[in-house]
Amino acid sequence: MSMNEDYDVIVVGAGFGGPVAAHKCASAGLRTLMLERSVTPGDKVVSGLAIPFYAFLYAPEFIRDGNPPLERPIRQVVNNFIRDGEIYAKDTSLWIPPPLVLTYTAYCVPLCVWLADRAVEAGTELRTRTTAVDLVMEDGKVAGVVTDKGDTIRAKVVIDAAGTQDGLALKAGLRKKLPTDTLELYMLWDYEMAREDVEREFGNKVEFFCAMPDERIVAPLGFGSTFYIFVYRDSIHPGLGQFIVTEDKVENVARHLEDYFERFTTTVSRWRDDIAPKVTLRAKMFDVCPIYAGLDRNVREMPIHGDGMMIIGDAAAMESAAFGDGVPNAWFSAAIAGDVAVEAVKAGDTSAGFLQRYDERVKAHNLIGASLSDTRRYDMRWALPGNDEREMRRRAHELFGRGVWRWRHITGQVVREAMQAMSRDPGGALKWLKMFNRFNRNCETGFSDTLSKYE
Amino acid sequence: MSMTYQEFPGVEWIEGAGDFITVDEKLCDGCGNCIRVCLAKCYKMTGKKAHVDNLERCMECGACWYSCPPDAIQFSWPPGGTGFRTLWG
Repeated sequence: MSMNEDYDVIVVGAGFGGPVAAHKCASAGLRTLMLERSVTPGDKVVSGLAIPFYAFLYAPEFIRDGNPPLERPIRQVVNNFIRDGEIYAKDTSLWIPPPLVLTYTAYCVPLCVWLADRAVEAGTELRTRTTAVDLVMEDGKVAGVVTDKGDTIRAKVVIDAAGTQDGLALKAGLRKKLPTDTLELYMLWDYEMAREDVEREFGNKVEFFCAMPDERIVAPLGFGSTFYIFVYRDSIHPGLGQFIVTEDKVENVARHLEDYFERFTTTVSRWRDDIAPKVTLRAKMFDVCPIYAGLDRNVREMPIHGDGMMIIGDAAAMESAAFGDGVPNAWFSAAIAGDVAVEAVKAGDTSAGFLQRYDERVKAHNLIGASLSDTRRYDMRWALPGNDEREMRRRAHELFGRGVWRWRHITGQVVREAMQAMSRDPGGALKWLKMFNRFNRNCETGFSDTLSKYE
Repeated sequence: MSMTYQEFPGVEWIEGAGDFITVDEKLCDGCGNCIRVCLAKCYKMTGKKAHVDNLERCMECGACWYSCPPDAIQFSWPPGGTGFRTLWG
């Protein structure tokens, strides 16, 4: 290794995964630089953000022990089934008693800022407003990045945390553009709602709306999200997605999403009469999400590391195929990549051969594997032939009803792992309970650690 | 300087993003996928070729880039500190 290298590690992207990797590297004493193209970490992240409890159980300690800005603990899922424009049945079988939580909702900006702040505290240098436009290649090995300012910054390892539309891994020749049939285009709305109205209408529940295609309320089953309403402290966050390709043709997704939302908000009385009079539109956004990437064999076989480079989170298409969660796998893979970067720099070997252990540990990670291969949302499409409403409800029960606890699903895996962890270390369970109690209290009071300003 | 548009409340666009998405007209086969997937109405068709009409409301989602069969669309990130941003994602 030459002596004129600027950094040990460059992390590209300060979203959810990047700061976790940077925190690991900087804490171990590595010279760590994190680049973020936006003005404020998180302000280019568009997501209906709900982070499932298991992400926190196995998150790095600094997340478990901290006070991240979270919005609302969610303890129940309401599946609404629509026929002739109205709800005709509900499935509310998925719930968990307090202080346990199914998922925490959150806004991306405060949470990404909080994570970036922790990485900086640990010694990471953060440069915002900086786009990594290319890689420095030397003898076929990644040796740094080139920024939009024309700077060449060298490092022993580059950790690519640039998110779904990442181009760096393509430039490195490691990955290819994701196939269209793995990608969902989704729209999101953010509405302000008085807290007492949120409590009365939703409480600690999120709602999903399922319907057959002829209702034209949501995308054909299995070809997109159901219509959902995520619930925050004093706002709600509905979202709606459809695959770019359904049954081998590129749909007019842009028009469908606008039409579905228009029909939903004007016909379904749950929205029109109960919710619409109490909310004020604050934001409307859209993005692409690689929700079925994990189900695609070609994508699964794309490398997630190369000479001098590791690719984490959404940049490596590690999105949960059932729930669309990107955060758990971003955290898990970032922590592994951070550990491997530390080992590699200490060993003075950042070749693909050494970094292979990143690939191996990710593949051996039960929760990443289970969430990437989860077919429950995909399987909703088997209700389409014959317009089978019973089949739709059965599939929804598997996806967002009590069916989630089955051993063979990701949640079953989580329970199994948690029980094993508790039998090894009974004190660990107490720590988890304390964490949930603290997070729940913070959601109640709106408390979090102080966040840096990035203007 | 930043811009806002009434179709997308709560989102602002910081100037200086430049032409970060371009269409190679020689490769474009006129299939129209880009127009069908773009929620920001960035594309227009002239004759049998698609071209970027404006990137004013682009949220950098890449749907056009992904859904272009002949790979005629080049997509790169805009320069740091430019392009869309929102507090409500």
